[in-house]
Amino acid sequence: MIKEKIFLKSDLDKTMENYEFIGLKNSLKLNSKNIVKKITESGLKGRGGAGFPTGKKWQFALSQKSDVKFLICNADEGEPGTFKDRFLLENMPFKVLEGIIIAAYTVKANYGYIYIRGEYSNAIEIFEKTIKDAYHRGLLGKNILGSGFDFELKLIKGAGAYVCGDETSLINSIEGKRGFSRIKPPYPVQKGLFDKPTVVNNVETLTAVAEIMKYEDNIYSKLGTEKSHGTKLVSINGDVKLPDVYEIEFGSMTVKDIIELAGGPKDEINFVVPGGIATSILKDEELDVLYTYEDLEKSGSSIGSGGMIVVSKKHDLLDILLNVSEFFVKETCGTCFPCREGNRNIREILLKMKRKGYKEEYKKIIGDLKESIMLAARCGFGQSSVNFIYSVLEKYFYEEVK
Amino acid sequence: MKITINNREYDMPENITILEAVKKANIKIPTLCYIENMEPYGGCRLCVVEVEGSKTLVPSCAVNISDGMKIKTHSKKVRKVRKTIMQLIVASHGISCELNCLTCPRSTTCELKIIAEEIGVTKINIPSVEKKLPSDFSSFSIVREPTKCIVCGRCIRACSNIQGVNIFTFANRGPNTIVTTFLDEGMGNVDCTNCGQCVMNCPTGALHEVYHIDGVWKALNDPDKITVVQTAPAVRVAIGEPFGMEPGTISTGKMVSALRLLGFDRVFDTNFTADLTIVEEGTEFIHRFKEGGKLPLFTSCSPGWIKFIEHNYPEYLPNLSTAKSPQQMFGAVAKHYYAKKLGVPKEKLVVVSIMPCTAKKYEMNRPELVGDVDFVLTTRELAKMIKESGIDFKNLPGEEYDNPFGISTGAGAIFGSSGGVMEAALRTAYEILTGKELEKLDFVSVRGLTKVKEAKVEINGKTIKVAVVNTLGAARKLLEKIKNGEVEYHFVEFMACPGGCIGGGGQPIPTNEEVLLKRMESIYEIDYDSKLRKSHENPAVKELYKEFLKEPNSEIAHHYLHTHYIARN
Repeated sequence: MIKEKIFLKSDLDKTMENYEFIGLKNSLKLNSKNIVKKITESGLKGRGGAGFPTGKKWQFALSQKSDVKFLICNADEGEPGTFKDRFLLENMPFKVLEGIIIAAYTVKANYGYIYIRGEYSNAIEIFEKTIKDAYHRGLLGKNILGSGFDFELKLIKGAGAYVCGDETSLINSIEGKRGFSRIKPPYPVQKGLFDKPTVVNNVETLTAVAEIMKYEDNIYSKLGTEKSHGTKLVSINGDVKLPDVYEIEFGSMTVKDIIELAGGPKDEINFVVPGGIATSILKDEELDVLYTYEDLEKSGSSIGSGGMIVVSKKHDLLDILLNVSEFFVKETCGTCFPCREGNRNIREILLKMKRKGYKEEYKKIIGDLKESIMLAARCGFGQSSVNFIYSVLEKYFYEEVK
Repeated sequence: MKITINNREYDMPENITILEAVKKANIKIPTLCYIENMEPYGGCRLCVVEVEGSKTLVPSCAVNISDGMKIKTHSKKVRKVRKTIMQLIVASHGISCELNCLTCPRSTTCELKIIAEEIGVTKINIPSVEKKLPSDFSSFSIVREPTKCIVCGRCIRACSNIQGVNIFTFANRGPNTIVTTFLDEGMGNVDCTNCGQCVMNCPTGALHEVYHIDGVWKALNDPDKITVVQTAPAVRVAIGEPFGMEPGTISTGKMVSALRLLGFDRVFDTNFTADLTIVEEGTEFIHRFKEGGKLPLFTSCSPGWIKFIEHNYPEYLPNLSTAKSPQQMFGAVAKHYYAKKLGVPKEKLVVVSIMPCTAKKYEMNRPELVGDVDFVLTTRELAKMIKESGIDFKNLPGEEYDNPFGISTGAGAIFGSSGGVMEAALRTAYEILTGKELEKLDFVSVRGLTKVKEAKVEINGKTIKVAVVNTLGAARKLLEKIKNGEVEYHFVEFMACPGGCIGGGGQPIPTNEEVLLKRMESIYEIDYDSKLRKSHENPAVKELYKEFLKEPNSEIAHHYLHTHYIARN
């Protein structure tokens, strides 16, 4: 259905005056229960990377009894190779805002934050203005659009830590604490920001919410496959001719098709990372996999955050591995031992390979490290930090050097 | 609640963690960052277990059990992951004989060693990491060696959760994460109280006291010096532990004997000056109570507490008793009275204290007190010296203290436990104020490990309200209450460490609640078994006043036995 490149620029040149907030207006006519029902029926999964069903999260938050609840829009997009949230923030801030207000209204949160990555200065500027305008137009503040619903929204600039994209670290960061993940349970929907029930949703998720609520019937659930509903933004980059953000209907394309959509590869493909460097790679001959949650999972990888990186054969594999490893060593928060020390040691071994060549014993050590990090790290980022490196080593490197 | 642990079914109470449940099933899960009775941190991940239905392993310290949960504590997967993590920890600790074990103060009590053995790590496949971080020697009391630090954050939590002092923090990110002080200023330059609870909670040798052992050996070996040693009340119930004796074993006689064997010329008891402190402080209280002086009166024998109040509540400095601590009173009496009695210049006399405390090392260096005590050894340091000398401590026959400063009462002994100073003071104050003999000597309500204890005493028809506080965290809370007018007292005892000196930062490691209770029990046993149980009845104290100090709170007593404080905000 949606095969051509969709620029999603429908609202780009319009001012807020022209943006109709239909999704929001429709939502304000409904009660929370009905909105949760509609979102649940849409089959929307969180687009941040973890893929937790949005309706379920909201339902859980709604059932929490508390005088104060919070809604946080997670715009701390830090996954290397992923820039779809930035695209949304810069090009359709109204729609993001709309999703935020709908979510807050649904879970009965009167206070909210949008936590934008500090490096996104343009997006921050745009969103600051958006919030200001929204207050003027009665879209934020007291009695939103005469509905009786009050909602205050504040923008927080991230200080540049990858781990703060983890919802619990993000919450710590807003509270002014060190960006360490928190132990779960309790989950943020039970005990989040300032110990109050808190819903954290990704930018893309909230944009989808605004879109879903725009229509009377549930067109979203009709898109995609049985298990992967709707569409997904893919930010494709690396060795492709037209790196950009593309909207893909789940199940309508294979990974190979998406690469073609982006103008095709620049050089002979070596491998593709389908969902950001926290996901496992697909080899050149594995690219016929259909772009859905379930098909990618079956292939041993995942949708992740939707940041697809195409890597051609002209790059030195070990250099790429070192680069990625360096990233995780720099960004691991330092709280839990397996992630902190494990990633450091993986880098050390890669450096040794670079200097002195491969030794058979490395394979076992890296295997042990990967296992302990994946099984015992404290947060999702830690647990997924070894996927990329390990899959490259398993699928390519060990073979290549032997 | 029914759960399965390693294929066996158990009935467990609700709202307990997996770790607690497994302990009830008599299985031990290794932990490193975990501190009992404190919120879990979940950093070391050694306590992970397999829970059916969970994709990843589950940290048992942080997750509560649920009905029907199926747990495997030592499956192949769990053991493998644990071993790898332990190897990572050891590697990050820098594997070198010199650095790690042979010369490390914690060589016999190192938790890394103990846990590595428990987990069954026999080989380190992971290359070690050299951290090369500079050591922090800025404090009179505590040395920090970040190279040995495994960044478990236990010191940070002890300092903030138990003590409410908050001098430590994490800095940097990832593998560069370190534990440090504010702006990396060093422990001697921040609001550290020197209490040593960080040392007690450190699993490695990254934190330890500033050693005075070498100086003491030098003095002992110097034929021109007369070495005089005093032993604090709480040392005698803990010194046996490093020699494999039951916690709380009363080892007074063996300790005296060992000190003589080490070569000390005179072995005296700080209990003696504890009695002296009570007479001075008790008289001070009576004076303030009768004449309308500043109340509540705060006790002044815990140097950690003194530094805490100087930093955090300087407005309450006038409430502090001006009486020096027993350690410093001993030093003053030894240098200015005893030396004369011996007919030697005070420079010839070397005064050594054996203390359960790290803050005492700071105290002896305070400008207004410096010169009276020459060296402070912690209980741990004394044990090291005894070991170095090959003395078979456990089988030593008991000996008596020297005279005259070896004579003390049960009131002096109970200084070692939280509530003891107050109880001793009340015994004396009551009798002086009423002129009557106290029928019941035991003020049971001020005993025990509870953080804040209260009591009321009727004296001459007036009710005196007292409170006893241990840990600085509790001290802060109580001071806030006093400030807000929520509570009113006449007399408050403050001790910096959990349980008082029995839980001091210089005591043997491990010191946990179970150990504390045993030490406490023995302290009160010493009191019960004493012939004299009231400080003012100590004949040696009476003699000292007759010969030297004239009377309590006299001018000369003030000159030698009282001090002043400094606002440090």
